Amino acid sequence: MDNLTALLEGFATVVQPVYLLYALFGVFVGTAVGVLPGIGPAMTIALLLPLTYSLEPTAAIIVFAGIYYGGMYGGSTTSILLNTPGESSSIVTAIEGNKMARAGRGAAALATAAIGSFVAGSIATVALTFVAPVVARWAVKLGEPDYFALMVVAFITVGALLGSSVSRGLASLSLGLFLGLVGTDTLTSQQRFTFGMPALADGIDVVVVAVGLFAVGEALYVGSRLRHGPVHVIPVEKGWRSWMKRSDWRRSWKPWLRGTAIGFPVGTIPAGGADVATFLSYATERRLAGSRRHEFGRGAIEGVAGPESANNAAASGVLVPLLTLGLPTTATAAIIIVAFQSYGIQPGPLLLQSESALVWALVASLYIGNLMLVVLNLPLVGMWVRVLQIPRHYLYAGIILFGALGSYALNFSPIDVLMLLAIGLIGFFMRRYGYPVAPMVVGMILGPMAEERLRRSLAISQGDLTYLVTSPFAAFAYAAIIVIVAAGLWLQHRERRVNAELEQLVEDVRAAAPTQEVSR
Amino acid sequence: MASEATPAGGETAARGGPPASKVRRPGELVLALATLALGVFVLVEAGGITVPGSTNTMGPRAFPYLVGAMAAVVGAVLVVAVLRGKYGHEEGGEDVDPTAKTDWLTIVLLCVVLVVHVFTINVIGWPFAAAILFGGASVVLGARPWWRAVLAGLALGLVIQVVFGGLLGLSLPPGPLLEGVAIFRG
Repeated sequence: MDNLTALLEGFATVVQPVYLLYALFGVFVGTAVGVLPGIGPAMTIALLLPLTYSLEPTAAIIVFAGIYYGGMYGGSTTSILLNTPGESSSIVTAIEGNKMARAGRGAAALATAAIGSFVAGSIATVALTFVAPVVARWAVKLGEPDYFALMVVAFITVGALLGSSVSRGLASLSLGLFLGLVGTDTLTSQQRFTFGMPALADGIDVVVVAVGLFAVGEALYVGSRLRHGPVHVIPVEKGWRSWMKRSDWRRSWKPWLRGTAIGFPVGTIPAGGADVATFLSYATERRLAGSRRHEFGRGAIEGVAGPESANNAAASGVLVPLLTLGLPTTATAAIIIVAFQSYGIQPGPLLLQSESALVWALVASLYIGNLMLVVLNLPLVGMWVRVLQIPRHYLYAGIILFGALGSYALNFSPIDVLMLLAIGLIGFFMRRYGYPVAPMVVGMILGPMAEERLRRSLAISQGDLTYLVTSPFAAFAYAAIIVIVAAGLWLQHRERRVNAELEQLVEDVRAAAPTQEVSR
Repeated sequence: MASEATPAGGETAARGGPPASKVRRPGELVLALATLALGVFVLVEAGGITVPGSTNTMGPRAFPYLVGAMAAVVGAVLVVAVLRGKYGHEEGGEDVDPTAKTDWLTIVLLCVVLVVHVFTINVIGWPFAAAILFGGASVVLGARPWWRAVLAGLALGLVIQVVFGGLLGLSLPPGPLLEGVAIFRG
């Protein structure tokens, strides 16, 4: 039970007033930025990294925890009120939640999303509390080839499953792996791909790449095809009473729990992260809906409650491999690793021992942040709605400005900002031609780690390649790749089919009742 | 309005994908070829990495070879796919107008503004360079009147300078004009 003691100590740290303020600040900023359209949690954390450069590690980690959860909450508000998801994982929420909002049930959609996120977040954080130490104890026993195998699994799943095209995902991944190669080789201190430029000898900064791809690339892409004209936000009725009726509670609680049960395990394995979890939850709710099945696609509250919970539970699940194995399985997780590294903290099996106080403070702040979010979110909906209405030219100019600030503040060198622009342009072209950018970030961060593991493995075995596959775990991992990728591709195929079906449904409904769409 | 806020407007583009127009063909082919070229380049360059004599088993060249091979193979697959007419689905988003054509002028102007920002930071100070970046970018994206955007940029630049430079101790250069003002320095 030393975990509980450690967790209590974590709470003791976090409830200090100054840390509570940091947590509040984190969830507030995270939600505010997460609400902004087009900004997912990965971009939120990348943009806000410079905020934490001058904070001490504990404070910074607490702020990050808040931003992480806050960004997730913010995204659901956006998708319900704009029906244009910021994070891909809330696409299904967008369909149902937006239909509900259009039918005048926006408050119920927001409430079931927020409360579901709270329930899922809390349960998943409890699960994290108990699962993480077990995984960490097990991970200590893993050898070098096992780690390499895990990383290969992460590469393949991230490359093949994040995005709609396998070959484009792998192209993005290899670009990221290449960027990770640039710099001085750690084992032999030879320069690789630096073209004799001293600025490249230390490698390309991951923050520049992340901010460039997520912030500048996105701003350029949206700027190139900006939807002009006023922003239309669906109005939400005021007052506590209208939030959730008794029947809404009755219809929501099971999807919340089911979503959590689906989301957390899916988040912990490298299998595509929250996207897969939300979709699985949506499909489950649809199948279990019975007589209510016809409501799906027209505003079924179960279709918001389940996926939103799954999304948040997966977000906590992702922290398990992140904290215990140092393995990022989503772009957001990759950026969190960068944040850790900027404090000289290397997530991995020893983290729970070496940085025990910090880890448990992080976990404790997840509990507290979650509570703050549900309290903050519902009463402040009016404010988030105003945030949603920020004129788009100012919004994207601001994103570029903060991106430039973040990369400039790394070394106070203008070269980094030029690099940011170059990466931003790459990000623009990737978006334009359907290349997912997330595998690139993951590849860049995980690439050097994988190389080190591989070379150490081969140093141990003195060049015997079979050593890589003879350990039972490694063999299992390579076998699992086939299963995971096959299952993932099948899911993607299903997802596309269901989405096409839903769009058809949406079209039908719109054609049948054109007046409803315009009512405002 | 009905056509303006058509739900899932951005999504249709992301999911189903608009019919691949012939206009997009060259660009997408270039990107696929670039991936292939990157792979070949990495394979060739990796041969030039110095391998110290002390290196046993796997040296600094092996992983680059793997990465280069991967990029080359994927690039070749993509080139073939594009030539056979299989296009990527461009990304959708809240603020992306799926029917709009790419506005290249905006891209060029945004890049110009960012470059100007970079080269003015050390000359006129961060807050003013920030005003140029924010004001310039928002005008390029359609903010009118232009002076309001620039004023907003100036205000934002000064606030960030005070908060990050003054309070949080980030050493952003305040520039010659504000050099002596204490609240702008960490």
